[in-house]
Amino acid sequence: MPSFLATLPLLSALAVTPAATGAPPSILVTRQLAETAGLNVGDVVSLSCDPSGAAARPFRIAGIYEPTPDPMRLVAKRFEARLHLPDMIGLTADPRDPLSPESVTAINVALRDPADAAAFGRELEARVPGLVAVPTARPDDGSGPFVVLERFHLAIALVTVLGSTAFLLSLMVMRAEERKETVGILRLIGVSRRHILLEVLVEGLLIATAGAIFGVLFAWVTEGAVNRFFQWRYDTSLVFVRVTAGIAGRCVALAVPLGVLAGLVASWTLLRRDVVALLRR
Amino acid sequence: MSPAGLAWRSLCGQPARAVLGVAGIAVVGALLFDMLLLSRGLVVSFRDILEGAGFDVRVTATDAPPLLGPPLRDVEKLTAAVRALHEVRDAVPLRTGRAEAIAADGSVLEVELFGSGAREGVGWTVLEGEGLNPSGDLPVVVNRRLAARLALAPGSKLRLRGTCQASSAVPPVELTVQGVVAFPFDAASGLTAMTSFAGFLQVCAGEEADLAELLLVASRREAGAEGAVAAIRRARPDLNTFSNEQLLNRLQRTDFSYFRQISFVLSSITLFFAFLLVTTLLTVSVNQRLGELAVLRALGVRRRRIAAGLLCESALLVGAGGLLALPAGALLALGLDRILRAMPDLPEKLHFFVFEPRAVLLHVALVALTGVLAALYPVYLVVRLPIAATLRREVVS
Repeated sequence: MPSFLATLPLLSALAVTPAATGAPPSILVTRQLAETAGLNVGDVVSLSCDPSGAAARPFRIAGIYEPTPDPMRLVAKRFEARLHLPDMIGLTADPRDPLSPESVTAINVALRDPADAAAFGRELEARVPGLVAVPTARPDDGSGPFVVLERFHLAIALVTVLGSTAFLLSLMVMRAEERKETVGILRLIGVSRRHILLEVLVEGLLIATAGAIFGVLFAWVTEGAVNRFFQWRYDTSLVFVRVTAGIAGRCVALAVPLGVLAGLVASWTLLRRDVVALLRR
Repeated sequence: MSPAGLAWRSLCGQPARAVLGVAGIAVVGALLFDMLLLSRGLVVSFRDILEGAGFDVRVTATDAPPLLGPPLRDVEKLTAAVRALHEVRDAVPLRTGRAEAIAADGSVLEVELFGSGAREGVGWTVLEGEGLNPSGDLPVVVNRRLAARLALAPGSKLRLRGTCQASSAVPPVELTVQGVVAFPFDAASGLTAMTSFAGFLQVCAGEEADLAELLLVASRREAGAEGAVAAIRRARPDLNTFSNEQLLNRLQRTDFSYFRQISFVLSSITLFFAFLLVTTLLTVSVNQRLGELAVLRALGVRRRRIAAGLLCESALLVGAGGLLALPAGALLALGLDRILRAMPDLPEKLHFFVFEPRAVLLHVALVALTGVLAALYPVYLVVRLPIAATLRREVVS
């Protein structure tokens, strides 16, 4: 019954005690907390909001759960426990504040139509002054941290493409130079420039397509290793790398024309030359 | 002809190839240089900000990140106890909250509000007026953006309504602006105000007194930050005391680790890429000149000389590309830094790419090593070249 559970993200004090005779209320703890503190299902732990451990209450661990991965809390230790709301209020309520037992930090609302979120928020704020209603979907204004990171990765990718293009061009120039005499002979026996250029085009297309497919396959095969490394590093189930059809398509769409163009440019420098110059005669 | 002359002639013989090779190395070298800047940029920049605040030790209630954990209690006593330590020069408690600044036309602006204990005026750059002087009426210093939005100047009145508690509806309090300052941790678009402890409690009425989220401590020069940390830990082992350096070490392992890792991965890839590029260029160059090299050997030119020529060729390619990479990398770093600094709520003074001489030295060392490694295989080909067979093949072909 997740809707009746509240999250207590920071446990000020937590101690494992032998199972009590009475039935303490049940809680869920995160896998990370269970592993670090050596907790098991059925253990009874004491929770307190005070760093000194004062006013601790016993709870029985009913289950261990994997917290929903949150990129915004990537480096945070997910030491969390979920309590039933009355238990949490009982644990955290301030006796000096009469409103405290009646207060919650937030209420999650699921709308029939998510498109109404903004209008619903406005209406609610108008009806209950002092209340803040915020849609859970982030506004797409390009200022979110992941939008910025995406822009950064894109910039890095563009620089990599620039470097790769220079590399590819030099390879193609070398390849063209190696075939100088062959091209000269072909020209000498009457094969037209256009025909040779077409052949280079097809060859470039094949090489570029093969290279792009190899690149995508390499990324797809290493995706698991990269994810496993970062999941181990940050102790999370977050997925860091995912080779989607869209990304693969974008890679191929960028790499193939670049490869073909590099081949054409390199060959054209050769084809411009005189046949005699090509044959070094 | 010297090996360097041989290398120069070889590169000049294939200008297009040489230019493309240098361009490729310049681009990947620029990326490598940027990744070296990124690997420590946040740490260097954050250290500058921390040190600019004028305090080298911080005390919190728990090991939760500063300002995110439970508050310190009995702050007055705690501050006095810490100040009394021989290793400590100054200790200033800090409270954080939120408030609404009310403009003359009745409109409101969300403001980040700090309440500070008495301090020696360190921790900010005064742009107009003076720093926080708790002796006057309810004093407040504001950042430049808040001053500009509400047309505030020293002596102006600022009306603030505390929103420290979600359910509170406290009346606004009028404070006297003593100065316009630049706070070290100000976000690019943040509106910030800092008042005295008494001012904070008046604005955020209903907030418990004698609390603070953070105790800022300045150590005495002779004791140093580590000495002050040790002394505070001895006096109050129940609290979390750490120096700027310890905070930076922690951030490097946690919050900054993503950029350190991405810089490590991309540096490795760019180095491999440069290695591959130079190896390919030199290998193809050697393969195309096998006959020429065999003739040189047959004429009595020693293997060592030809190998040295290849190493020089590699050094010329990598050296030229690596040198071009420095200005290109610096320009690229400016662009990448601008992209990353668009992240919300980052301190305005925080940079991801920060120039350090050690980054240049490391860049030069890595590029040089790549050049040497890349020349190994072509050198091996030349050293093992069978002179007679190569010459025969050359004549027959």
